[in-house]
Amino acid sequence: MPGAAFCVAAVLIEYYFGLAPALTMMLAGVCIGDYLFVPPYAVFGFIDRSDVLFIVSYPLVALVFITLVERLRRAQFRAELIASVAQSRYEMLLRHDNDRMLARRAVDETHRLLRHLSQHRKSFVLIQALERMPAWTHGTDAGSKREAGASVLAVAPPPAEIAPGPRFDDVEPEDIRRLSNALWPGSHRVRLRAGDPIAMHASSGVQGDTGDSAAQLVDCICERFTTHAGDFLVLRVGE
Amino acid sequence: MKTSVRTIFNEGDGHAVLMLHGLSSSPLELRYLARFLSDEGFTTCVPVLNGYTAGSKEQAMEHWLDAATREYDALAARYERVSICGLSIGAALALALVHRRPQAQAVALLSLTLAYDGWAIPWYRFLLNWAYYSPLRSRYRYRESAPYGLRNDALRAKIARAMERDDFSEVGPSTISLPALHEASRLAASVRSQVRAIRNDCLIIHAIDDETSSPRNPRFVASSIGSTFLRTIWLDDSYHMITSDNEREIVARETALFLRESEITSRTGDAGGKPVVSKALARRLRQLAAMGKGRA
Repeated sequence: MPGAAFCVAAVLIEYYFGLAPALTMMLAGVCIGDYLFVPPYAVFGFIDRSDVLFIVSYPLVALVFITLVERLRRAQFRAELIASVAQSRYEMLLRHDNDRMLARRAVDETHRLLRHLSQHRKSFVLIQALERMPAWTHGTDAGSKREAGASVLAVAPPPAEIAPGPRFDDVEPEDIRRLSNALWPGSHRVRLRAGDPIAMHASSGVQGDTGDSAAQLVDCICERFTTHAGDFLVLRVGE
Repeated sequence: MKTSVRTIFNEGDGHAVLMLHGLSSSPLELRYLARFLSDEGFTTCVPVLNGYTAGSKEQAMEHWLDAATREYDALAARYERVSICGLSIGAALALALVHRRPQAQAVALLSLTLAYDGWAIPWYRFLLNWAYYSPLRSRYRYRESAPYGLRNDALRAKIARAMERDDFSEVGPSTISLPALHEASRLAASVRSQVRAIRNDCLIIHAIDDETSSPRNPRFVASSIGSTFLRTIWLDDSYHMITSDNEREIVARETALFLRESEITSRTGDAGGKPVVSKALARRLRQLAAMGKGRA
C-alpha cells in the first residue's frame, strides 16, 4: 500500500519538524502517491475507485497519527517547561540556602569575636578592620548593610582601620606601624615598653631579651574573624 | 492621555541600571522593579525614549536605539558600572544596546520578545506585517485584550478598567500602532543576528505561560548568546508582565541578586562571587558546569 510509506514519512516529519511541515508532507504525499503509485500511473485526469480509496484513506490515517504525535509533542513541551520551572526554583532555593548558611557562619563568627574580646579584654592590643564589608554581603540585605557600616564605624576610630585595645599604648609605636601595614593571622613578636608596670606584668610571656633595656619582646597572637560586618584581625598579647 | 509619562530616576551607588520598558508603554511598568533595585542600593533609571515611549510619535527603531544609547552614555559618564534591563520589546532593545555598548556590566532580559508568538496572539497576527504596507498603516491600531499580560485576576480587572478609561495603564498601552509593531519586528530581526556576538553577563526571566512571547524567544537567546555567566529563570505563575504579576517579587529579587553577583564577579575575577558553602549548591554548580553552560 503506497500510503503507508507516506504516512510514516509524515509522522516522522511531524515528530522532528512540527505540524505545518507534516501537513505539507501529507498533502504532497497525496499528490505524489496518487500520481506515481496508484494505477493508472502518471495520470492525474483519470479518477477511479483506487484513487478515491487512496485520497480518502491516506490523509485520514496520516491525520490521525499526526494529531496523536502533535498532542504528545505538546505534552512533552509542556512537561519540559514545567521541569525548567522546577529546576529554576531548586536553584533559587539552593542559592538562598547558601546565603542562609553564610549568614549563620558570619553570626557564629561574630559571637566568637565577642567571646574572644570579653575573654581577652585586658590583653588585646588592637583590632584591625580588613574591609568594611565582605564582598558577598553587597546588596543582599540593605538592613544588614547599614548595620555593618555602623558596627565597623563603631570599632574604627583613627587611624581609620585600627581600633586600639587596652595594651595598645604599651607597644612600641614602631611595632604598631609595622603591624598596621602587615598584620596577618598567626604569631607576632612585639616590643613592650619597659618600665611600664603593665608591661612588667606581661613579661611572664617574655621569650627573650634583645639586649635593649628599654623594651621587652613578647609573643602576640593574631586571629581573624569573618563576621557579617566584615573581616577583623584581633591582636592580643599571648598568655 | 491622563496619566503622566516621565523618567524614573533613583540615585544609588556606583552600579547604575538602565531599564527599558515595553513597546509604546511607559516607565510605569518598571516602577516596582526600579524601586526594589533602588532599595538594594542600585542607581536606577527608567527613561522616556522619544519615538518609543507612549505619547510620542513613532520613529524608526534606529532612533529608539540612539535614544537608549544616549541614556546609557549619560549613566556611564557618571557611574562606575552600568547594567541594562529590558522588558518585552525593551529586552530586545537592551540586547541591541548591549551589542552597541559591550562594556555594559550585565543585561537582564525580562519577558524577552523577539516574535509575537504567545498563545493569546490571534492567528491573523501575521497579516499586520502586510497591513503596514497598505493604507491601514496610519489608521489601524492593534488593540490589547484580556488577559493584558496578567495572571492575577484582581490586577487584571483593575487594568481592564484603566484601559477603558485611558490610552494606557501601568502595564502598557491599550493599543499599538502598526508602524510601532513594524519597527519592533525590524528590531527583533536585527537582534537575532547580533545575539551571538554578545558576551556580557546575562539574566533571562520568562514565564512559561507568557501569552505574548512564547518560551522559544528566551530559548533562542539562551542557546545563542556568548555569555559565560548566563542564568535563566522560568516562572509558572505569571503571564507576560512579570514585573507586575504574581511573581514580581521573585523577578525583582533575582534581578538584584544577579546584578550584584555580576558586579562582584567582575571585580574579583572569581566565578560566582559568593563563597559556596552549601554542598547541594556546589553539586548543582558542578552539574551545570558539566553540561557546559554556567547557568547557575
